[in-house]
Amino acid sequence: MTFFRSLAAQWVRRYRKMSIQMVLSLSFTAVAAAGILLMGVSFIWRFSAASEQTAAENSQRILAQANLSLDSYLRRMMRIADTVYYRVIKNTDLAEGSYVEALGLLYEENRDDLVSLAVFDSQGTAVAAVPLAAIKAGADPAGSEWFQAASRNMENLHFSTPHVQNLFDDPVSPYRWVVSLSHHVELTRDGVTEGGVLLVDMSFSGIEQVCQDVTLDKGGYLYLIDGSGELIYHPRQQLIYAGLLEENNRAAAGYRDGSHTEEFQGQSRQVTVKTVGYTGWKLVGVAPAESWTVSSQLFAFGLFLLFFATFLMAFLNFLISARISDPIRRLDKAVKALESGQEVEIEVIGCYELQHLSRSVRSMVSTMRHLMDDIIQQEGQKRRNELEVLQSQINPHFLYNTLDSVVWMTEAGQQAEAIQMVASLARFFRISLSKGRSIIPLSDELEHARHYMNIQQIRFKNQFTTKIEAQAGAEDLYTLKLIVQPLLENAIYHGMAGAEDDGVISVTAYREGDNLFIDVADNGVGMRPETAASLLSGDRPAVQSSGSGTGVRNVHERIRLTFGQGYGLTILSEPDEGTLVRIRLPALTRDEAAHCQQEGDIL
Amino acid sequence: MKTQKNSFVEAVILGTLGLLVLLTLLIPQLMRDRRDTRLLSLSVLLRDTDSSNWNVARQGMEQAADELGAELRFLTLTVQNDTKEQEEILRREVEGGADALIAVPANPEALCAALNRLPDACPMIMLEVSAEDGAAAVAPDNEELGRKLAETLLEDWNSGKVLLLDNSAACPEVRIRLEAAREVLAASNVPAIEINALPDYRVPTRWAMTFEDGATRQAVENKETQGQVFALYGVGSSTSVTSQLEKGNITAVAAWSDYAAGYLAVQQAVQAIENRIQELDPLPFSIVRGEDIYAPENQKLLFPVTS
Repeated sequence: MTFFRSLAAQWVRRYRKMSIQMVLSLSFTAVAAAGILLMGVSFIWRFSAASEQTAAENSQRILAQANLSLDSYLRRMMRIADTVYYRVIKNTDLAEGSYVEALGLLYEENRDDLVSLAVFDSQGTAVAAVPLAAIKAGADPAGSEWFQAASRNMENLHFSTPHVQNLFDDPVSPYRWVVSLSHHVELTRDGVTEGGVLLVDMSFSGIEQVCQDVTLDKGGYLYLIDGSGELIYHPRQQLIYAGLLEENNRAAAGYRDGSHTEEFQGQSRQVTVKTVGYTGWKLVGVAPAESWTVSSQLFAFGLFLLFFATFLMAFLNFLISARISDPIRRLDKAVKALESGQEVEIEVIGCYELQHLSRSVRSMVSTMRHLMDDIIQQEGQKRRNELEVLQSQINPHFLYNTLDSVVWMTEAGQQAEAIQMVASLARFFRISLSKGRSIIPLSDELEHARHYMNIQQIRFKNQFTTKIEAQAGAEDLYTLKLIVQPLLENAIYHGMAGAEDDGVISVTAYREGDNLFIDVADNGVGMRPETAASLLSGDRPAVQSSGSGTGVRNVHERIRLTFGQGYGLTILSEPDEGTLVRIRLPALTRDEAAHCQQEGDIL
Repeated sequence: MKTQKNSFVEAVILGTLGLLVLLTLLIPQLMRDRRDTRLLSLSVLLRDTDSSNWNVARQGMEQAADELGAELRFLTLTVQNDTKEQEEILRREVEGGADALIAVPANPEALCAALNRLPDACPMIMLEVSAEDGAAAVAPDNEELGRKLAETLLEDWNSGKVLLLDNSAACPEVRIRLEAAREVLAASNVPAIEINALPDYRVPTRWAMTFEDGATRQAVENKETQGQVFALYGVGSSTSVTSQLEKGNITAVAAWSDYAAGYLAVQQAVQAIENRIQELDPLPFSIVRGEDIYAPENQKLLFPVTS
């Protein structure tokens, strides 16, 4: 059971790996081969049955003819016996005459078939005999089987089985095989009747001639047995007598007239039996199985037809399945190309169902493309919205603080400082707008940072000093706008919280390879490294409170949204040592910045 | 890739079917060619000057030749038991292209030696006697035959010497039979005398044994002409021996089917040609007494069914 399950599973696995063309080809061919095989077996079976029937009919016809000949021969012998009895014995009184002359005449007329004619009295003494009269010394006619059979059954003629004639001294052919016909007769001697036996010894050759010319097809033969199965004639009789051959004659004696199939010495054969009238003898026709079974030649020819038909069917099946599956294969190929991102045109070919399928796939592809465009647009819009939200988180906060400082300075009469602050604020906002561009030159960003720090230094009464510088050539590079100011804001509010006049905040921009780094450092209170690391974590709750790091994280996310995960902020800090926030950006040239800006607009 | 695999599988299937179609076309042709075999040529070398004594064996040979596809050439000698002439005939037949020989040898060892000397020796089957150096033989167990014949004599013997007729010079198998018979007689303390031929005068013995058909016939003739009264136990199944058995001139004979011997000799020869010779059992024989001659089994043995 496990084996069959495993086989079925293996078959299913193979089936799943097969192409539709192979499945169609193999299935059609297997079905066709099975059909042809079934037809072939059916044909052979019917042919064998018909051949067997024909062989049986043929054997029966031949046996009927042989029976006719044998019957005719035996009737002639019986007529001779009747002639002897009714014309000679009945008409002759032994006291007055002899049978010899009449018997001699009859013998001469039938000498080809007869060996001897003899009449014996009830004691077995020869009354008359032709052609030989001398009885062998020691011969005992009364003890012979033919004599006793005639005496036992007085009404009938009795036919013996073949035996060697042993009654007469024959100098020419002393030991001839004969079949004895004996009949009880009434002898008349001096007017008195007495019993006797008439013997007609038929030459064995007579029966042999009747039988030996009869042949059956394909090595078949005919033999003759008596009612008990004793052989009378067999074409290979002497071999059987010599013990070199065996015949199934005893079994055949039990068969009814007609055809039978038997197994003898490992061979199947058809035996047809016909009983010879009056004698009870049986003619047995033996036809070997080869005469009705399919011969090797015919079998080979049948195999040839089977294989040739299967070959043709397989060839046609392969062609048809290729024709059917080709549109499916091409559709599959087109779908695979689509999967790999190629632009392909889906053909509408094949039969109705396939055309419908192709149209459906084509329609689905078209719909999918539109949907994908929509999704991309929506995604871009979403990102822009996010950026705008992030940027908008900065502006109100800063504006509020600055204006608050301006009010404070004006009230305090510090008009020059108020003017400077307002001028810086104006410049600050001009750069912030930057005509709506999100990517601006580094020089503008640093200038933006200076203006911011100008404002904050006025607010914080120069509690700290600011140093903003850029590596030569780095100022020509481009950067995302408004990324330094939030870091400066953090440095002021958190780093410089406890500073007296020794606070230093520095901004340094420099290029390393394809990267632009902007370091924002302070020498303020610093923080623990794990706190610094947690500032950029997305898991940190977005609480809008001082010291929450929201500005830093906003900058970090804006950079990563714009340039990818490889860019952003790195925070290095130690308590009482200060903090360094390093911005990593791609080193964008003017053209690259313009391209990037364009993509950002699309998005 | 899948398409290439499909094409390959289809090509393999079509190729296999095409090959099967070709094979089923060719095999019947090959089978037909193999069946067209020529008739085998078998030469039968007799040690007699005429083949009449071998008529029954000849019928058996012809039956076998007819069944097995062979043709027979019967060759007799101009002088009875002439070893040299038989060797010469053997040489001529082998050189003439005989496929196999069946021999009733005058001298088995000499005939085998003569055959072995020839460069293109063919198989040889011997009838009635076997040779030391291996030629296949269709013969009764000669020792057993001699013993059984002697035992049959012992059933009747009451007194007197037994005459053993030794004509082994003419028939080599006689010596084996005679030795076996002599041993049996000696074991029963029955005196025996060996002579080469019966004299032309009456011999004072009541028992005689012969071990070959010709010798049996000669003994009967001598018995009739000289008025001998000994009981004769002989070998043979020729018509004259059977006739004398029936008349009582022979008490018992050891007989076998010459028809079977002839048939088996040809069958063995054909098998030897085809290199598929099989070990053959000794030819069965029977001891037949005169009174049993017409028993059904003895009729079949002694009187071949001939038309």
